[in-house]
Amino acid sequence: MEAVLKNLASTAELLAVATQSGAVEQWDKQTLTRAFQWARYCEHVFNRFHNNPATRRIMEKQLQLTNQSLRAAFPGYTEISFSDLSRCQHLLLVGLLNNPDLPSSILKILFDSPVNTKKSEYQDVTGFCSHIIQCKSACKVLSPLTGVSAIGADAEVQGVMLMERLGALLSQSGKASQTEHFLDSVLQGCEGEAEHFCQVIAAALLTTKTSAAQTAAQDFLLDWLQNKHSELQHLCSALHTTLLTDLAKKHLKFRDAYCGVLKKWTSDMEYSINDGEWVQTSTNQTVSFKRLTEHFLALFEACPAQREDVEKELNALKISDGDFDVRGLSVWGDLLSALNK
Amino acid sequence: MSQLQPVIQLQSMAEPLLNIQEMQFWLDKAVAWGQADSPDTQGDTCLHLNRLRDLLQQLLTNMNNTSSTIETMKTLPFLGQFLGRLCWNPYVTADATSRRLLFQCLWGLYSEHPGNAVERKANQWIRKVLCQLATEDDDAAAQAVMKHMGVPPKEYYLKLLRKRVALLQENIGKSCNSLGDINQRCSCDSILATSEACVPLVTCPEAAPLIGVLLQQPAKCARASLSEDFLDALSSAYSSQCSSLEEQTVISLWYHNLSSLEEAVLSQLEDVVTNKGSTPQRLEEQLAQSLLPKACAQHCSIYLVVKDIFRSILKQAEGVEPVKHLIQTFTSCFLRELALLQHQTSVSLKALFPESPQSLLLPLLTLPSEMPQEAWRRHLNWLSGSLQRLTEEEEGGDRDSSGSTKRHHKVFEAWFLLVQCGHWVQVAVQLLVTSEPEDCGPLLWLLTFYHHPTNQWHHRELQLVHAREAWDHLHSFFLISAHPLPVDCLQSLVSLLSSTQPQQPSPSPLLILNLLVNFAVFSQHSLSASTQILQAVVDQSGLVDEAACVLSSLQPRLNEGSRSSDDCNRVHLRITALQNTLIHSV
Repeated sequence: MEAVLKNLASTAELLAVATQSGAVEQWDKQTLTRAFQWARYCEHVFNRFHNNPATRRIMEKQLQLTNQSLRAAFPGYTEISFSDLSRCQHLLLVGLLNNPDLPSSILKILFDSPVNTKKSEYQDVTGFCSHIIQCKSACKVLSPLTGVSAIGADAEVQGVMLMERLGALLSQSGKASQTEHFLDSVLQGCEGEAEHFCQVIAAALLTTKTSAAQTAAQDFLLDWLQNKHSELQHLCSALHTTLLTDLAKKHLKFRDAYCGVLKKWTSDMEYSINDGEWVQTSTNQTVSFKRLTEHFLALFEACPAQREDVEKELNALKISDGDFDVRGLSVWGDLLSALNK
Repeated sequence: MSQLQPVIQLQSMAEPLLNIQEMQFWLDKAVAWGQADSPDTQGDTCLHLNRLRDLLQQLLTNMNNTSSTIETMKTLPFLGQFLGRLCWNPYVTADATSRRLLFQCLWGLYSEHPGNAVERKANQWIRKVLCQLATEDDDAAAQAVMKHMGVPPKEYYLKLLRKRVALLQENIGKSCNSLGDINQRCSCDSILATSEACVPLVTCPEAAPLIGVLLQQPAKCARASLSEDFLDALSSAYSSQCSSLEEQTVISLWYHNLSSLEEAVLSQLEDVVTNKGSTPQRLEEQLAQSLLPKACAQHCSIYLVVKDIFRSILKQAEGVEPVKHLIQTFTSCFLRELALLQHQTSVSLKALFPESPQSLLLPLLTLPSEMPQEAWRRHLNWLSGSLQRLTEEEEGGDRDSSGSTKRHHKVFEAWFLLVQCGHWVQVAVQLLVTSEPEDCGPLLWLLTFYHHPTNQWHHRELQLVHAREAWDHLHSFFLISAHPLPVDCLQSLVSLLSSTQPQQPSPSPLLILNLLVNFAVFSQHSLSASTQILQAVVDQSGLVDEAACVLSSLQPRLNEGSRSSDDCNRVHLRITALQNTLIHSV
């Protein structure tokens, strides 16, 4: 363990040098290769220990110490956290490319396009950037051809990755709080991209590979989502109806939560005499009465068994409102008649 | 005015490689590609990739001839703008060659020792562009997710690319739903567009499965055609060994693209003509690796094209022995592959050999190993008789010129089939070793026809007489153990072998050499005496290499015949011993 900690500290120093020091001027291909080897080593360390809270804590402590001394040496130093280790090669690359002292010979190696792109050169740094650019560009070239689907290919890939991370976290740590914390931080990170994050969650819940770990991860994600009321409501209003019904068909928990959101939206409605229409009272949700009806109908179509229960419930609510058959008096009564039109 | 400036400055350049209008054309193209994101502009980029590569190469050459960045910027002021625009065009950066050339051009603008502010600025710009290309992302959502889930971008893009490829693969695999109605939209519409988009991706290993599906999809409807540019790009990537295509994809490429098939066949021919020392085993391995026999067995049309190429090569050079060997080996590889597929395909022999004389087809295509050894002689006599009749019929009426080309054609096709099934000629030579003088006639005729298919000046009769003469000599050497060697007989054999007068129709030296080597190997004569004769004749006629070649061609056939293992061993030992003698006599 001692040796691993020492290596972690050295790699953090290496990253700092790569990013901020003029020493990179002396680098050659061998130095570059070794630097990437160390970065890869740290990625392995991350993959090996990120699910192990005890070890992780020790490593985090070591990184804190190293960060402290590096902060003193390099003004404007960006600290490195344990979770940064998972993309250590990327951080090294970003650091190097932004370092004005990096010799052009190193840049040329990174951006070279080896004529023979055989798999054996996996460990070679030659063409490292070129390969990334090729993949990125190829994705863009193919993207207009994939056509429109409810979930984009990107969200689907990210959904699978989310499941993998969740699965790994749940299988080892046992502590739910850590996994919750992970999801919270992802959610927070995607603040500006909430719509996209909804798609990622939907994709994660719709992944079909059924292993015990996967089921546990999906279950965990559903529980987490149920406790995030605003997030759940946002998801229900942002996603396409077919996607929502797919989720309802696949997960009983989601069906109930979805139904709950729909009922909440209904109860939040007020009759506007001016428009002659039920409208939302809460400020941030903009679901119309018509759209709400569509949600219910789509859900009934996907899960016919649900219809009877929900209608019974709506009827009870209508009765508690006085059981009038006049439009504009009870939202439940009007919803019921809209559903049975 | 400012638009005209580059034009004027270009005119002052001494380099005629870059034409002004052309440069303006490309600059406009780069601007147009960057502005609109419609399928049309995307397709346009793909269609221009080939020419763009040439242009970048020219620019590179041009820059290498100038001494500094500042000078380059003076002569090509638009260059930075042009390259910058290309950097952000994914069609350009996805293509391996364009990307390499583009980066090289950027390096051409980079100054190792910047001498002024302009050069320093150019350096900064290049570094910034490269850094952005490799690490930044216009997809903010993806970037946020990656960052917070701790996923390295390289891994993410690889996964995303594989996902997109898989989705498209699935889409292409869907069945056509237009039901022949040309006005109805159908999934086949996407095939052309997808194949066009794959032009820059032909060397990308991750795209290989999609390329495979595109090539292998059965022709479903009229709109399911592939872009020619795609096929050309793929073909040139394959021939420069830059692609990572699977076997089946390569075969489909040949099926769709005639020129790549032609290239593959010609490269085999070229190889066999230049590497004369190659052994028959190596040739067989090489052909199997080329996938051509397999492709021919799968697609009748490919086989017909390959045979057409062989046919035209043979017409130009009927006597080139390595080519004949190639064709023969190729045919046996092909037949083997065909037998493996027999339960899957139901192509008739007639469809595969439409031009060959049908009566000879099955008898010649039958392998000697498929028949008891005792039946060989009768089979060969029948073959010889049939061929003789065919040539007499066709050549007999030569005097009236009408239809003579057609008749020549028939004789040629019969001979071509014999070349493809050369194993029977080999058996004939071997049987001649143990023949009696009264029954070697048909076999000698077959051998003479094989070496002299065109009956020019009606000389086959005379050639036959000489072949007979050679056989008589050999027969007396090897069967009547005469010691010491009859020098005069030996001498006349040597003179038959080395005769080069075209007016004197003598049998091909190879015919006689073939006989000689077979006698040396298969006769019951003692090894030392056989070696002595072979060495004496070969030394004097100077045909050492040719003899070695014939010897090594006998080796692989030992394993396929129905020979007893004792006999096989004996022959094998004799071949090795004779080979050693020849090596030492070089």
